[in-house]
Amino acid sequence: MEIKPILLALKRSKFLAALLVIQIAFTMAVVSNSVFISVSTLKEWNLPSGIPHDDIIRVTPRFYDRSKSVTAAVNNDLKRLQEMPGVLSVTPTSGSPFASENVTEVYLTSEEEAQEYQTVIYDGTEHFLNTLQLELLEGRAFTAADMIYDSEEKNSEVMLSEDMAKKLFPDSTAIGKTVWLSKGSDPVQVVGVYGNFMTGETLNYYGKSYQSILRARSTWSHEQEPQYLIRMEPGIAESKLEDVASVFYQEQGRYLSQYERLKRVQKRMYDGRGSRALTFLVISAVLVFITAFGIAGLTSFQVNQRRKQIGTRRALGARKSDILKYFLTENSIISLVGLVLGLIVTLVMTFELSNIEQENLLDIGLFIGIALLFWAINIIATLVPAMRAANISPATVTRGA
Amino acid sequence: MLKMENVSKIFRTELIETHALRKVDLHIKAGEFVSVTGPSGSGKTTFLNIAGLLETFEEGDYYLDGQNVKGLNDNQLSDLRNQKIGFIFQSFNLLADLPLFQNVEVPLRYRGMSAKERKQRVEHALETVGLASRMQHLPTQLSGGQQQRVAIARAIAGEPKFLLADEPTGNLDSLMAQQVMDLLEKINEQGTTIVMVTHDDQLARRAHRNIQIFDGQVSDMEMNATAELVKSA
Amino acid sequence: MLQYNFSLALNSLKERPGLTFLMVLTIAVGLGLFTTIQTISYYSSDIPIQHKSQNIYLVTMDHRETSADPIERPTQMPDTTYKDVMNLINAPVPGVSYTINWNSYGVINRDADTETAVRSEILVTDAAFFNMFETPFLYGGGWSSEADEKGDAVIVISRAMNDRLFGGIDSVGQTIRVNTDTLTVVGVTKDWNITRRFYDRTYAPGYIHDFFVPTGYAINSDIPRNENFDCWETEKEARFEFENDKWTQLINSECGWMRLWAAIPEGQLEGYESHLMRYIDPQKQLGRFPRDIKIVVDNINEQIEFVAGRNGYINMFQMIAQLFFAVCLLNAIGIMLAKFIRRTKEVSLRRALGARKSVIIQQYVMEVVMVGILGGILGVIIAYFGLWGMLNIRLYAVDYTITAESIAHQYQLNPLLIGQAFLTSVACTLVVSLYPIWRICNIPPASQLKSA
Repeated sequence: MEIKPILLALKRSKFLAALLVIQIAFTMAVVSNSVFISVSTLKEWNLPSGIPHDDIIRVTPRFYDRSKSVTAAVNNDLKRLQEMPGVLSVTPTSGSPFASENVTEVYLTSEEEAQEYQTVIYDGTEHFLNTLQLELLEGRAFTAADMIYDSEEKNSEVMLSEDMAKKLFPDSTAIGKTVWLSKGSDPVQVVGVYGNFMTGETLNYYGKSYQSILRARSTWSHEQEPQYLIRMEPGIAESKLEDVASVFYQEQGRYLSQYERLKRVQKRMYDGRGSRALTFLVISAVLVFITAFGIAGLTSFQVNQRRKQIGTRRALGARKSDILKYFLTENSIISLVGLVLGLIVTLVMTFELSNIEQENLLDIGLFIGIALLFWAINIIATLVPAMRAANISPATVTRGA
Repeated sequence: MLKMENVSKIFRTELIETHALRKVDLHIKAGEFVSVTGPSGSGKTTFLNIAGLLETFEEGDYYLDGQNVKGLNDNQLSDLRNQKIGFIFQSFNLLADLPLFQNVEVPLRYRGMSAKERKQRVEHALETVGLASRMQHLPTQLSGGQQQRVAIARAIAGEPKFLLADEPTGNLDSLMAQQVMDLLEKINEQGTTIVMVTHDDQLARRAHRNIQIFDGQVSDMEMNATAELVKSA
Repeated sequence: MLQYNFSLALNSLKERPGLTFLMVLTIAVGLGLFTTIQTISYYSSDIPIQHKSQNIYLVTMDHRETSADPIERPTQMPDTTYKDVMNLINAPVPGVSYTINWNSYGVINRDADTETAVRSEILVTDAAFFNMFETPFLYGGGWSSEADEKGDAVIVISRAMNDRLFGGIDSVGQTIRVNTDTLTVVGVTKDWNITRRFYDRTYAPGYIHDFFVPTGYAINSDIPRNENFDCWETEKEARFEFENDKWTQLINSECGWMRLWAAIPEGQLEGYESHLMRYIDPQKQLGRFPRDIKIVVDNINEQIEFVAGRNGYINMFQMIAQLFFAVCLLNAIGIMLAKFIRRTKEVSLRRALGARKSVIIQQYVMEVVMVGILGGILGVIIAYFGLWGMLNIRLYAVDYTITAESIAHQYQLNPLLIGQAFLTSVACTLVVSLYPIWRICNIPPASQLKSA
């Protein structure tokens, strides 16, 4: 296939070619940036939760009457819940999976300049692991004997999540090691390692979703009220939601701020980002569609314009495939120029957007992937009218217009 | 009616200059029927385009109906074309999606005539060419000869003083060609000056006068018998 | 001629309806998205109480210690300390009036009935608030300034909460319970359609307060102070307790946590600013304001513009929408050019038959304007659905923690926005059509007539 006649033809319809080039470039810029944004938003999106979130109910009661005893209420709640049919395991806790935003640091030494490792510390009873159905991977799990109920007393032992243990002690077992829960104080011993579970959006954002620490601690007050995690028999959590809530209403002086399945908490954690990314992806898809239609339209126009020329070529012995190749080559030249220009526009735009987002969005590999995909779509958009061109009868020449 | 003095037209491309017309001097009187002949590429079309005010020229003067058209701007040229010149083309150039009435009406529209006057003139012109009954037909429903007659109706609807025909019979068989020629002669008899480009010597001879263009020059003006008869009369 | 060209343009659009539709549709889709985001951005920078917003200022001063982070943006200015608020209010400047507020929360119900209780944010403010910000009332009104001083247990509630707690009746004079206290309703606000909650500096879109109580009551009853206390290092630890406790320590501390708004008459801003400077200078003698003096007195307009300008999501979306629209226009113009090129022969014939260039231009401008208008109509319809979609996405994204009706007004087209959309459609279509029109009107007459 000779390129020269194509270039000459393009030169003759400069404006149309330029139009297509710019259109492809802009489309590429919009699509790549939309995808960049989506990818960065959807980073670490919908990761496995590690827990049976369908069957766990989370309840957040809040006291408004500060004369009531929180500790007494917790005891009553636990007793009532354990008597309730369908409840398998329950624990009060300082934080909930998917919703723990109080990220703190843990250290490997007591020095002032000790390296910081981000984590979420959960306080709960000896039923915490059972409630979340977390597997014990190493060491031992907490028992009733480990529990601390006095707020003056400090915990001396902790358990780590699998990821946390790997992060802190990549080369050896974590069991028996010492970590510091705040700078220069609170040294604690690791006694066990449990399976990973999703903590919440903040750590998820840093790509450290599963780094958590568990303490056997149940010391609650008006300043630190507990949440409850309640694992129900499989499949009944949804229908038992109101029953569970009514158990909590038996206690006076407080109200229920929230009661819901963890599944919903999980949905909430991801939805804001998910819908945003989805919006951008839909926009991109529409745009690709429009551009493909435009390209198909213009190619079909060119085919009409060149009916005679195509007929002549056919009469002179060109095969159908030659005609197809002609249009595909022409489109590919335009696409290539458009994509190169698109790369430049994309870079400029990504730079701007990265400034807005305060995050580097650029991903050249992704750009190349999108470019190839887009090219393929362009080829399809060209192919449809080009097939029509290939079917132009060589007799067009003799018949006249 | 039409007077050219020293008119030259040069086409320039990056590489070559072509003299399409060289110092043409020509005078066509009102009421004349002139044929223009010459081989392909001789400058016939350029001559026709300049005469019809479709192209500008570099040198010389051109008087149309006593008015020097040199240096007129595009709008003035458009108006002159609209009012004084009627065009007939080899390929008819009718607007395919418009009925005959609207095709013939086009130049009148650009003259800004009232609807009533337009109707009158279009009907009259279509009667002249014998197609008044087909006013609402589309051009594609007509034969080639009929289409050319519509084109003639369009050309005369504005009652121009000067009719330019470019190979008017080129796309027609001989019978239809004869009909079209008859029509042109009839129009000429009513006082309209006609310049007709053709390569058909037989048709050319039906004109009062024949101009030959060769290599951009009007080389010969040959009066034919009819013209002399008219003159002497 | 106008009429003739109009009919020609109309015929041309009808000539290949599929192509015309594709052209109009691409413009409409681009315009639809563009208008959707324009609308969202319009409301995001919508300025409340516009007739006086220029004269209502948030007063902030940097009372923090030398080690605190430098201020790069006005939004980083700390809130105001109790001391400064009191000192300024007690040293009145003629013509200047103040209002203050801070955030609290509580469990609210009608009787002791726990199951219908709602936990809600409560704005603690003074009588001047409702006048300065012109809160619209359905029943009753704000409380008196005596109520502030005496600490009357009164409350202003929103229309939505009035519906929920009282079934929509005029509840003025009725009582509701906030935590364990009983308060008397003095006013029910109408839906307050301000787009951003500017008055407590959160600038959150939506979430306008449902409950307002007087400062005096809040102090007497020591209801929680739901604020970020911007304290000096010496009091950093205590700030966690300030929420529920240690009132006396808090009001004597160097912790900023209250919003101070001032209505300053036209032309008196400079005078007021130097008043502030003159106030701060002697404070330095007392060991306060250790940093270089920095005050920011911005009116509502300046704040909203600043905050709206920094909305990353909207800016990003706007950028994408603009390019998207550009691509759609390019696409449409490609189709239009193709349509025009098909008609070169016709144009050259019309020119030969005496049509002036200007007449041809008129014909095609008309066609383009028609496409622009059609694109505008369809685009506005698409924008309507786009906004409906965005509203639902927003509700979904916040897990229905706000009601559709409380933010629906931020997703509504108005005549201004519709007009703007039409203008954009026609103007942009015209601009991109300039070249095709220029090209077609410059076709030499009869140039295309030779070939069969």
